[in-house]
Amino acid sequence: MFLNIGPHHPATHGVLHLKTVLDGEQVADVEPDIGYLHRCEEQMCQNNNYRHQIMPYPDRWDYTANLPNEWAYARVAEDLNDIEVPEYAQILRTMSVEFARIMGHMLAVGTFALDVYGDFTATFMYAIRDRELVQNILEDLTGQRMMFNYFRLGGVVWDLPEPREEFFEKVRDFIDDLPEALEEYHDLITTNEIFQKRTIGTGVIDAETAKQYGCTGPVARASGIDYDLRRDDPYGYYDELDWDVVTEDGCDNFARLLVRMREVEESAKLISQCVDLLEDWPEDERDIQSNVPRTLKPDADTEVYRAVEGAKGELGIYVRSDGTDKPARFKIRSPCFNNLHSLEAMAQGEYVPDLIAALGSLDVILGEVDR
Amino acid sequence: MIGVLKSMATTLKHALDGSTFTVEYPDVAPEVSPRFRGVHKFSQERCIWCRQCENVCPNDTIQIVQDDQRNGEQYNLHIGQCVYCRLCEEVCPVDAILLTENFEFTADTKDEFIYNKEQLKNVPWYKDIDPLESREPDRGAWIGEGEGEVDYQ
Amino acid sequence: MSLAPLQADPVLLPETIARALFGGGDLAIWQEALAAFLGAFVVGNIMLAMTGVAGPWAKRKITAAFTDRIAVNRVGPAGLLIIVADAVRLLGKELIIPEGADRPAYDLAPLVVASSALLGFAVIPMGQIFGVNLMLADPEIGLAFVFAAASIATLGLAMAGYASNNKYSLMGGLRAIAQNIAYEIPLILTAASVVLFTDTLQMSGIVAAQQEPLFTVAGITIPSWFAFVNPFAFVLFVVANLAEVGRNPFDVPEAPTEIIAGYQTEYSSVYFVLFYLGEFLHIFLGGAIIATVFLGGPAGPFLPESLNFVWFVIKIWAVFLFTQWARSAVPRVRIDQLIEIGWKGMLVMSLANLVLTAVIVGVML
Ligand code: SF4
Ligand code: SF4
Repeated sequence: MFLNIGPHHPATHGVLHLKTVLDGEQVADVEPDIGYLHRCEEQMCQNNNYRHQIMPYPDRWDYTANLPNEWAYARVAEDLNDIEVPEYAQILRTMSVEFARIMGHMLAVGTFALDVYGDFTATFMYAIRDRELVQNILEDLTGQRMMFNYFRLGGVVWDLPEPREEFFEKVRDFIDDLPEALEEYHDLITTNEIFQKRTIGTGVIDAETAKQYGCTGPVARASGIDYDLRRDDPYGYYDELDWDVVTEDGCDNFARLLVRMREVEESAKLISQCVDLLEDWPEDERDIQSNVPRTLKPDADTEVYRAVEGAKGELGIYVRSDGTDKPARFKIRSPCFNNLHSLEAMAQGEYVPDLIAALGSLDVILGEVDR
Repeated sequence: MIGVLKSMATTLKHALDGSTFTVEYPDVAPEVSPRFRGVHKFSQERCIWCRQCENVCPNDTIQIVQDDQRNGEQYNLHIGQCVYCRLCEEVCPVDAILLTENFEFTADTKDEFIYNKEQLKNVPWYKDIDPLESREPDRGAWIGEGEGEVDYQ
Repeated sequence: MSLAPLQADPVLLPETIARALFGGGDLAIWQEALAAFLGAFVVGNIMLAMTGVAGPWAKRKITAAFTDRIAVNRVGPAGLLIIVADAVRLLGKELIIPEGADRPAYDLAPLVVASSALLGFAVIPMGQIFGVNLMLADPEIGLAFVFAAASIATLGLAMAGYASNNKYSLMGGLRAIAQNIAYEIPLILTAASVVLFTDTLQMSGIVAAQQEPLFTVAGITIPSWFAFVNPFAFVLFVVANLAEVGRNPFDVPEAPTEIIAGYQTEYSSVYFVLFYLGEFLHIFLGGAIIATVFLGGPAGPFLPESLNFVWFVIKIWAVFLFTQWARSAVPRVRIDQLIEIGWKGMLVMSLANLVLTAVIVGVML
């Protein structure tokens, strides 16, 4: 039986259309049909200048964990124009990006639970609540709750809000409460036998197939692929900090959930180190932006590809310049795009509920798939 | 079975402690950070009609009309199209355009969101807070020039 | 403290009405019919009022409590008038009938679902309110009748699923049938183990059998409710009942995130209200059966017998609360797992329970 799952379906996390062929309740074939959320992001970036105008747009790609996207653009533009970033700004960037990662993973855990439980159940609400706490902190820091626009070429736009102690206290409170909150999720979902029954051994993708589909991020790490750009291609302040890359060998929906939950712990670790560093930073060395010319015109025909580890995986940007202040070609390599297509391999022969669960565990953000 | 009971105990704990995370919105106004970016406020007294804001805006939200003497005649801002990136506030050398913390605005049709000079002037401060003090605009990075050729656009 | 013993042969509601209207003595057939009709009207409205409170208001409040939210509180005191607002909203919507719907079946399905649940209440002993016994009929085969009436709903779901001309609905309808067959049998087998004790299928008989004190601990007499006599059967029954009424973790026929509310997908406006009502009525009917069979019917301490309807309401609301609680914390199982649990788990256990009970009853009595 041919079944259209989407474009308007409660579990497609945006507007995604899955052309599914069913054999009874089992999935014989599934093909994601994307493009419903296409907003010409690449074209828009090509029509705007490097210096200021592109930066607001990356926030709109992966709109659940926005700051890593900004870093992707900042990194590519800074390397293209040889811009130095002050160390202090790098720490601010690292901290805010890890907050954004927690935000993204919270939502991923919540919506995954939603897909498995059905209805707006408690887990989803608790996840949103914890995400909200992060949003409050980031609102104090960046001035917005989702579309932060916090990064600038050569640094960030704002130093920590005054009074700094209050902000540190707020962050520390959050970090201290986080283990308890995570414990609650473990009580609620991961130790629940019915939940385990639903997720362990379903949506399996082995490391080799995952690599072939180009999966990155938590999806790849849940299949045992030890690949994290924060460590393998260090940027920002990551190589100075003490943290681990999380991997799991389960290859299934459950492993992907676990990776996300453990990554939240790692992010918390990173944040608390950043906070310690920021607190002791000498007052007269708090440079948040380096001197960047007003207009940036990189040499013609320079090509740069730089990637960062977004909440969903390797988020890369390719830019080719043509000597003007706007990119000639702006190409986004979005992790969700590749992750989504591995659904084909995951859902083969599974039941419809597991297809939905696998989709949820991939944590695709259609804004990033379609751009 | 133990896990299932544990999950049920967790939700029950939340149900019984009676605390709520949501607030009754219009009665309990949410805390808005001083940096929050909401609807713009324009000050004609300050504006020097340099058109930098119009230039920097990534999606042509601001439209400035000048007469042949380069005096400002119109200042239109489509707040329904704005992405609240605050670049206009950042470039404005005299703080003539500011993003207030006001996020409560409605309209029946989208074209009502095209605010002209007067409407922009009359945008109220949120809770009477002028966010400018707490924002400490640092324009060092904007005014200073990088090495190499100076480019005044 | 001891429980008030129930009257051996209480006067049923239609008879009470008939006496009030036409005095005693022999009644013409139309008089009896009218009295029965009025009685059914009263009971039906009590149940509808209860679902009215439960659906739009209580459900929101309960879910909100579990998820740390506030929920409705503006419309009327504690938001209670949301019931009116919701009714107006739902009834005011356009009734959209999909192209290619199988008309008579499509129209009948919501009626079947809602009315089958109401039908079940005919034989439930709901206790007394100011001395008036709220029970419509007390046939010999009461328990069998309740189960029969309740399972007609499955027919309605299958009709809705098939007649909607929608693949999701079809899947929902098929799932509903598979699930109901798998869980009806353990449900009835478990109830049968109770019947072994009571020796009767008559509802009043089952209630009466539970009024004896079981044992006394520290001055508190535990009545011989079957939930205390046979807790295992009680747990089995409650779980099977969750599946029977299609709540988490067994809400696969609806499964909004998988098959978009299944058989309800194509229904709107009045038809949707009927489905919605039917669903809540079913939860309450399930609660009523649990209360009658396992929790001593309307019996309870503190209140005089003439007011024990209150206890009945408390009991069925407790079951309703339980379904909502389960919904907040327990994931939905997959359809194949559901069938597996039904046939390989519940059925075996309920059979074992039945055999054990039979042996015990046989040895003891
Ligand atoms: S906030 Fe950004 S989008 Fe809005 S008017 Fe200013 S520059 Fe334009
Ligand atoms: S940048 Fe400021 S001063 Fe210049 S035109 Fe805009 S509002 Fe006026």
